[in-house]
Amino acid sequence: MHTLFRHGLPCAAVALALGLGSGASEAAGNEIVLGASVQLTGPVANTGRYYNDAYKLAVDQINRKGGVTVGGKKYTLALKIYDNQSDVNLSVRQYTQLVSQDKVNFLLGPFASNFALADSAVSEKYQIPMVQGGGASDQIFSRGFKYVFGTLAPASDYFSSTIKMFKQLKPQPAKVALLYADDAFDVSVAKGTRPLLKDAGIEPVLDERYSSNASDFNTLLSQIKSKEADAVLVAGHETEILNFIRQAKSLNVSPKLYSFTVGVPSEDFRKALGKDAEYAFGMTAWLPSETLKDDWFGDAAQFAKSWGAQYRYEPDYHAASGVADVEALVKAIEKAGTLDPKAVRDALAASDFQSLYGHIKFADNGQIHLDQTVIQVQNGKPAAVFDGDKFLVQAKYPMPDWSKR
Amino acid sequence: MDLLLQVLINGILQGGLYAIVALGLALVWGVLNIVNLSHGAFIMLGAYISWYSFQWLHLDPFVGLPLTAVLMFIVGYAVQRGILNLIVRSPMFNTLLITFGLEVVITYLAQLVFSADFRTINPSYSGHNITALGVTIPVVRLAACVMAIVLTLAMWYFLLHTRLGRAIRATAQNLSAARLYGVEPRHLYAVTFGLGLALAGAAGGLYGTVSQINPYIGATLTAKSFAISIIGGLDTPLGVIAGGLILGLIEALTALYIGPTFADVASFGVLVLVLIVRPTGLLGRTA
Amino acid sequence: MKTWRLPLIAVVLVALALLPWYGSDTMIQFGISTLLLAVLAQGWNIIGGYTGYPSFGNSVFYGLGAYGVGIAMVQWQLPFAVGMVFGVVLAVVFAFLLGIPVLRLKGHYFAIATLALAQIMAAIVSNVPLAGQNIGLVLPPLNNDRMFYELALVLLVAATLTVWWLTRSRFGFGLIAIRENEEGAVVMGVDTTRYKVLAFALAGVFSALAGGIQAYWITFLDPGSAFDITLNVKMIIMAVFGGPGTILGPIVGSFILSAISELLSSEVTSIAGLFFGIVIVVAVVLMPRGLADVVRRFHRLGWRYFVDNIRTNRI
Repeated sequence: MHTLFRHGLPCAAVALALGLGSGASEAAGNEIVLGASVQLTGPVANTGRYYNDAYKLAVDQINRKGGVTVGGKKYTLALKIYDNQSDVNLSVRQYTQLVSQDKVNFLLGPFASNFALADSAVSEKYQIPMVQGGGASDQIFSRGFKYVFGTLAPASDYFSSTIKMFKQLKPQPAKVALLYADDAFDVSVAKGTRPLLKDAGIEPVLDERYSSNASDFNTLLSQIKSKEADAVLVAGHETEILNFIRQAKSLNVSPKLYSFTVGVPSEDFRKALGKDAEYAFGMTAWLPSETLKDDWFGDAAQFAKSWGAQYRYEPDYHAASGVADVEALVKAIEKAGTLDPKAVRDALAASDFQSLYGHIKFADNGQIHLDQTVIQVQNGKPAAVFDGDKFLVQAKYPMPDWSKR
Repeated sequence: MDLLLQVLINGILQGGLYAIVALGLALVWGVLNIVNLSHGAFIMLGAYISWYSFQWLHLDPFVGLPLTAVLMFIVGYAVQRGILNLIVRSPMFNTLLITFGLEVVITYLAQLVFSADFRTINPSYSGHNITALGVTIPVVRLAACVMAIVLTLAMWYFLLHTRLGRAIRATAQNLSAARLYGVEPRHLYAVTFGLGLALAGAAGGLYGTVSQINPYIGATLTAKSFAISIIGGLDTPLGVIAGGLILGLIEALTALYIGPTFADVASFGVLVLVLIVRPTGLLGRTA
Repeated sequence: MKTWRLPLIAVVLVALALLPWYGSDTMIQFGISTLLLAVLAQGWNIIGGYTGYPSFGNSVFYGLGAYGVGIAMVQWQLPFAVGMVFGVVLAVVFAFLLGIPVLRLKGHYFAIATLALAQIMAAIVSNVPLAGQNIGLVLPPLNNDRMFYELALVLLVAATLTVWWLTRSRFGFGLIAIRENEEGAVVMGVDTTRYKVLAFALAGVFSALAGGIQAYWITFLDPGSAFDITLNVKMIIMAVFGGPGTILGPIVGSFILSAISELLSSEVTSIAGLFFGIVIVVAVVLMPRGLADVVRRFHRLGWRYFVDNIRTNRI
């Protein structure tokens, strides 16, 4: 009798699971569902949240302005968002669930290149277009995948405006240290930065890869100090850079200039560091300027105002990028005149329109191209300093010693 | 500035902090033979307690250590009395499993309650440093290191030279004999585990001033505590000082000469080597 | 073996094999995950359940299998089958090279050593350019869940048959002897070192094959996911919950625990982890010898079974 019980258990388990699976939700009659797995909690949630907020704001605004018209019929946009807790594996499973169980129409991307790299394998496998504004690494776009599109400028380009700025600084930085985390985005940045430095005639005195989520930069900072680096370029994540700057202060390391791939454009980051954020350089491909016109938000400045009113914090390029993803999908759906994934994918590849984020046009590999503007924290606010050719405002250079601040 | 000297000092400062991180684990393991795989999770809880004391009560993290320690002691007493006492005499494997289960539960609850965002404890003196012999020494790290060594020495003294300490050691060595002497083992085990967690809490408070706090730091801290306890040896609390210093120096030197991404390989590599070659650790008596 | 047991098992097997035809997409995916976990639990059963050496690091074999497939397919453009073989070779080499020194340790020292080994491998792999370092590898996408499901099922059957063979072979008796009384086994002439290493390698083979299937199915792997520590917890608790040292225990344990975890997951994604933690704590206190033992003795002792367990183990 007990053995019957014992063997019956696996059967019961299977039957139980059968009951679970049959309830697959279908999208409502005239709704277009966009699915995404975003980092709402976990180490990179600070930036992941921008995308969640961006998708929501964009969907609300587009619905408010009449929704989407496909082949004469009106549709509203709906979102299905999962929290992947900053875990790449969970995000892959969630995208699989979005496609195979929730049966969403199209996909929006996560934040971060390593996520986009893994998750785009799902969109490619099931042939559902994914427009993502969170992954800039060249690796995402060099696999010949047809179903992933990216609205972040290539990672390899991130430091190009900064290095062009070096030539116009006095005294020109001669010894440069390059540090980068070991994830997809930052490795791509470093790979692209090396030839840029070479072309500028600079040989890095330090070129080190460190583990993602590292919290101890003491050895690296000691090396920077001992090699007397003039400029330090760091490609990493917000929490690492926070640690880096704090430890630089406590070890009394102050190069003439330091520039980071993330952090400076974000309000949280500057607030967390307070006065210690001053003088830090960064870059952004987007500024909330009125010259960037948009069909739904008017222009970038108005968008920034709506965002601030809704969410009570300032948007940065991640936010604008997220909104651009939704807009790109909507434009492509309307152009294709159908919800068929393949047709929409072809329409996406042919995208060409102006938005609050800039000119949306994807290269053959699916990635957009935008120029980076060098920014610096001046008096607690990010100031646009150098646009790739000339100075817009004066750069605060060189950075004074910690004791003299 | 001498790079090697600076890196060595960095390593030593880190090592001192590592000693207190491991102390709670080594105590409970060496004395009670309870291998606590959730040790790091409790350090994480202690860090959060210190963070909240700093935010809400404006308690300096060093001044607030006793508060954190007392709160964690209560938690530890409850956990031992309520859960772990129930499996003390079952095979060691069950202790490993149950404490692993505890780790998972605590981490998830922490994530639910505190969210996964990173936090730091930043007292006003957090950027200050002393310069001596051409080397820069961050004040907070130095204070944490000193505090760690003080606590370790205090624990060593407690276990070897006080009545309660000897009672604890006696109970662990021979349960029945200890009972004959009027010792209440359930209470004593709980007190010891409580002490172990109090130390973990203190370690958390110190750790939070030097590094970041988030619900996931537990696993790495447990792993490092193991490495330190085994390298140093479990026979004496002073073993964690030796183990901590060695680990801190290995990590710093590996980062300097091989590369920052190899630090984990080096620390775990040394752990496995010690396990294979001299399982009782550097300061342990060979069995 | 009671006469109706075999037909019952056959029926269950056929029902499972035919699932891709009557189950929904989600069911098939759930099935693949569960089957692979069951394989891991069964693999652990060999070294932990039968030999009595509780390995907390079998995830290292899983990871090696995954990377074997990943490197073979992505870096060398070899077919999946070759990748699987490569993964198994990596696992076996690892089991022999590192098993010999580590299997000299007893009890919890062995557990810690295996845990440390798993961490070392993850750290090493994140530095190896061929493995894609910390970025990992993206495999060629293949949309064929049915195939993965059947593969996983075949693997589970193979693992279970191996365990069944263990229970009636000299090798298996040797392992049980090691578990019950290692010194006695040595005296009786059992070559304990050879047997232990072979058991370790056997567990490794199945874990590696499971890892290989997972890698190709998920299409992505990186050091964090391939050498995931929580896998160790999952496979151990599933084996222990079901009944370590039994043939079907780990399977029952993994099916039940996975089903409940999946139920919880569809409501709140993070609760699944919490659930596992609580199950472990409750199971270790109330039923340390697994469901198999509960089923065997419950109808004689009733609820006293659980109370007895606590009474024998507490102070």
